[in-house]
Amino acid sequence: MTISNATVPRARRFSLRSRETPLDLTTRIAVVLVVLILGVLIVLPLVNILSSAVSEQGLAVFNSIFSSVNLQVLQNTVVLGVLVGAIGTVIGFLLAYVQVRLDFRGKKLLHLLALLPIVSPPFAVATAVITLFGRSGIITRDLLGITPTLYGLPGLTIVLSLSFFPAAYMNMLGLMRSLDPSLDEAAASIGANKWRTFVTVTLPMLVPGFASSFLLLFVEAIADLANPLVIGGDFTVLSSRAYIAITGEYNVGAGAAYSLVLLLPGLLVFLIQRYWATRKSVVSVTGKPAGRPAVITSIPARIVLLTLSGLLALLIVTIYATVIVGGFVKILGINNEFDLSHYRYVLSGIGSDAMITTTALALIATPIAGVLGLVIAWLITRKLRRGRALIDFLGMLGLAVPGTVLGIGYALTFNKPLGFGNVAILPALAGGGAVLGGAIAIVMVYVIRSSPSGQRSGVAALQQIDVAIDEASASLGASGVTTFRKVTLPLIRPALLSGLIYAFARSMTTLSPIIFITTPQTKIMTSQILSEVDAGRFGNAFAYCTILIVIVMSVIGLLNLFVRDSSVPKAAGLSSATIN
Amino acid sequence: MSTTLPTRTEQDAEKPTGELVLRDVEKSFGVGENRVTAVDHINLTVKPGEFVTLLGPSGCGKTTTLRMIAGFESPTSGSVLLDGEDMLRLTPDRRPMAMVFQSYALFPHMTVFDNVAYGLKLRKVPAKQLKEEVGFALASMGLTALADRAPNQLSGGQQQRVALARAMVVKPKVLLFDEPLSNLDAKLRVQMRLEIRRLQRLLGISSVYVTHDQDEAMSLSDRIVVMRSGRIEQVGTPDEIYRTPESVFVADFIGRANFLDVTEASTSSREGHADITVLGQRMSARAHRDAVAAPESVLLVRPEAIRVRRFAEGDDKVAGNHGRVLNAVFYGESVEYEIETEVGTIVAVVSDPVYDEIVPVGDLVGISFDPERAWLLPAAS
Repeated sequence: MTISNATVPRARRFSLRSRETPLDLTTRIAVVLVVLILGVLIVLPLVNILSSAVSEQGLAVFNSIFSSVNLQVLQNTVVLGVLVGAIGTVIGFLLAYVQVRLDFRGKKLLHLLALLPIVSPPFAVATAVITLFGRSGIITRDLLGITPTLYGLPGLTIVLSLSFFPAAYMNMLGLMRSLDPSLDEAAASIGANKWRTFVTVTLPMLVPGFASSFLLLFVEAIADLANPLVIGGDFTVLSSRAYIAITGEYNVGAGAAYSLVLLLPGLLVFLIQRYWATRKSVVSVTGKPAGRPAVITSIPARIVLLTLSGLLALLIVTIYATVIVGGFVKILGINNEFDLSHYRYVLSGIGSDAMITTTALALIATPIAGVLGLVIAWLITRKLRRGRALIDFLGMLGLAVPGTVLGIGYALTFNKPLGFGNVAILPALAGGGAVLGGAIAIVMVYVIRSSPSGQRSGVAALQQIDVAIDEASASLGASGVTTFRKVTLPLIRPALLSGLIYAFARSMTTLSPIIFITTPQTKIMTSQILSEVDAGRFGNAFAYCTILIVIVMSVIGLLNLFVRDSSVPKAAGLSSATIN
Repeated sequence: MSTTLPTRTEQDAEKPTGELVLRDVEKSFGVGENRVTAVDHINLTVKPGEFVTLLGPSGCGKTTTLRMIAGFESPTSGSVLLDGEDMLRLTPDRRPMAMVFQSYALFPHMTVFDNVAYGLKLRKVPAKQLKEEVGFALASMGLTALADRAPNQLSGGQQQRVALARAMVVKPKVLLFDEPLSNLDAKLRVQMRLEIRRLQRLLGISSVYVTHDQDEAMSLSDRIVVMRSGRIEQVGTPDEIYRTPESVFVADFIGRANFLDVTEASTSSREGHADITVLGQRMSARAHRDAVAAPESVLLVRPEAIRVRRFAEGDDKVAGNHGRVLNAVFYGESVEYEIETEVGTIVAVVSDPVYDEIVPVGDLVGISFDPERAWLLPAAS
C-alpha cells in the first residue's frame, strides 16, 4: 500500500537525450483512452462529491464542523489515526528489522505471517479479536478472568494496527534492504559501538521510512469503515459518520461533506509521499548495497527481538486459528461443539451466490486493472514527457482516495443515468435499478482500486530496464510492438504478476466502497460478512472469512502457475548489465 | 513487418555500399530563450567501409549526432542519407544499421545465443542458416562456450562481445558504437578495440564510433571527427589530427601538448612554414595556414618532441633554452619530466630512458626540439 514508488523522479535522465519526437499514433490512442477511463472511474465521482458537498445540506455540515458533536467526531478520527499510525509503524519496524538483521529458523514463516493480514477480509481480525479478547472473550474472561470493554477506541486501535501494519512492514523492509551496510561499518570503524551505531546512523536513515509508514497507516486507519461499524461502538469517526448520514439519515449532501473532510488528509499524505519520492532523500544511496547487512549476534538483543516478534507471530496465528476454528464449531468460546451449519449456510443459498459473484467480478476486474495499470506505467516511463505527472497522479488516485469516499462518489455518480443535458451516455450502473444489478459499478470500483498497484509495480519494473534495451531491439529491426512483446513484457512479467495478485486480493477483500453501491441482486462477500457480524452470527462470518482467504490463496497460486514462464534462462532476471 | 526490413542480399552487391552522408544536420532543444543547439549544422560523409570516430568532450553533441543517425532522435533540420536514400523518414527499426551501446543493453531474459539470434529471427532467417550464422558470430568473438549462458553470468568484456556479435550478425550497412568500451577496465579496453577494428575490417561495414577517449579514437579510426559545442572542429586521419591540428582546442584534446609563446612570426620562404622566434631562437617551423596572419600565435610541441639533456656549467643560457626539473616520473618505457622554464612549465617525455641517466629533481636541464616536429597555430583557436 506504499504509494511512493510509483512516482517518477522528475528530472530522471534529463539530458540532451530527451524525447521530443512527436508521439506516434499508438501512444496518442493510449493516452486518450487512459484519460477517458480515469475520467469516468475516478475524476467524475470525485467531482460529484465536491459538488454535493457544496450543496445546501453539505454546507450545513461544514458550518457545523466546529460544533461539539462534529468536533468530537473529528477528534476521534485523528486520535485513532495517530494511535494506529504509531503502533502499526512500530510493529512493522520490529518485524522488518528482525527480518533483515537477524538469522533464525522460521524467518520465512514470520515473513509470510506478517503479510497474512493483506489477504484477509476486513472483519477477520475484528471478529476474532472480539471472540478472544472481548467481554466474554476466550482469553480475557475464560483464561484471565477479566471483562474489558473492547468496543470503541481500544478495540479499534488493536484491530486496525493488526490489520494495517503489513504496509509499514513492507515499506520498512524495502528501505532497510536498500541501506548500504558499509555506512554501519564506517560508523563501527571509527569507534561507535553497536548500540551507538544503531541510534546515530541506522535510525536517522530510517526516519523517512518511519514518517511515510506512519502517514500511510494514519490514512488507512481514518479511511477504514468496516471496523468502526463492527467494533466502534459509540466511538464515531468520520467514515462511520458519513455512512450513517447516507444510509441512516438519507442525507447525501452531508455524507459528501464528511467524506470530503476525509479525502483531504488522504490526498495530502499522497502528495507528501510523492514529494519525498521525487526528492530522493537520504535513503536513495547507491542502490547497490556493498554487501549483506551485518547480522546481530548479541544474545540479549536477540532474545528481546525474537521474543517480541514471536509474541506477535503467536497473536497473528491465534487470530487466524480463531477464524478457521470459529467456522467449524457452534459458537466459539461458548459452545465448542463441532458443527458444519455455518458452512452449510455460507456454501448454499445466499452465501454461495455471494461467493461466486464476488470471485467472478474480481476475476473480471483483475486483468482489466492489470492492463490499465501497465499501460499507464508504460506511458509515464517510456512515452510521455509533458502531462506525465498528471496521468501518474490520476492513476494513483484510486488508491489515495479513501474507500468510503470512493463509494459515496460512485453512488452519487452512477445511481442515475449519466449524461449531458438530456442525452444519456451511460445507463445507471449502480444501485437498485441499475443494469446487471449494479455489477458494472462494482467491477469499476475493483478496477480503480486495484490498477494503482499494477501501475506502481509496472513503473518500478520499467524504470529498472535501461532504455538502451528498447533501443537495441529497435536498432536490430524490431518495431515498437515487437519490442514490447518480445523484450519489455517478458522483463516486467514478475512485476505484472505481483501487481495482478495484489489487485485480486484487494478486490476480494475490499468493503468500504462496496457498501454504498451493492444491491440485493449482486451480493458481495464482504458486505455479507458485515451483515453476519452485525447480526452477531460470528460463526457464519468466520466461515465466510475462511472461504474468502482460501479463494484468494488459490487464485494467487493459479496466477503464479499461469504467468510464470519457463523459457526464461535460469539465471536471468534483471542483471547488473541492464540496471544502469 | 519483415518485408521492409533490409534484405541481406543487398550486402552481396558488387559495389560496396554503406555511404553515410550527414548534410547540414542540426538539433536544437527547447524554445525561445531556453533554446539550446546541441548539434550545429554538421556535414560529414562516411565512405563505404570507413571507420569514423566522433571524438569530443562530454556535451559536444557527438552522442546526439550518433542517435540521429540511428533514428533515436530526429534532427531539427538537415538530412541523413545512406547510399542516397533518405533515412529520416524511417524509424530506427527500418534503418539498415545496428548499434552497440555503452551499457551493452543485452536482453537479460534471453541466453547469449538468443540475444545474437534476435535480429536474424526478426528477418525470418531459416532455422538452419540462423544456427550457422549465430554459431559463426559467436565463434568469431570467442563466445561459443557461453552460448547457453544468461547475460548476467558473463563478465563485462564478455557481455560487450555478445553485444558486438548481436549487432554484426545482422550485417548492417552501418555499425554505430556509443562509447561501447567505457564500462570496461583499461586492459580490456585495449584488447576490445583491436578486436572491434579486426572485425570491422573483415566485414567491411561502415562504422561510426562515439568516444571521449582519444587513445580509442587514434587506434580505431580511419578518420577522426573532433567535435566541440555542437560543431565539427576538424576532420582528419589520426596522423593529421595529431600532427597538424586545426586549433589549440584540437591540439590540446588529442594527446598532450606544450604551447610555447612565439614572437616575430613571419612568412617563410619554405612552403607551409613560418619564421618565428621561440625560446630565444630564430627558426623556421611548420605552420597552420592562418598562423602568420593571426594577431598572436603559439607553437605546439608535443612532449615526445622535446629533447632534454643535462645542463653543463659552460653552456650559454639563453632565455627559455633551459629549465629546472620540477618532477621526474619513471614509467619504464619512458620518463616524464616537468620542467620549469622562464616561459612556463614544459612537459617532456623521453622514451627508452637509461635509468641511471634520469635527471634528478632540482637539476638544470637544457631543452631543444626539432622545428619540423612543431606546429605553429593561431593562439585564439
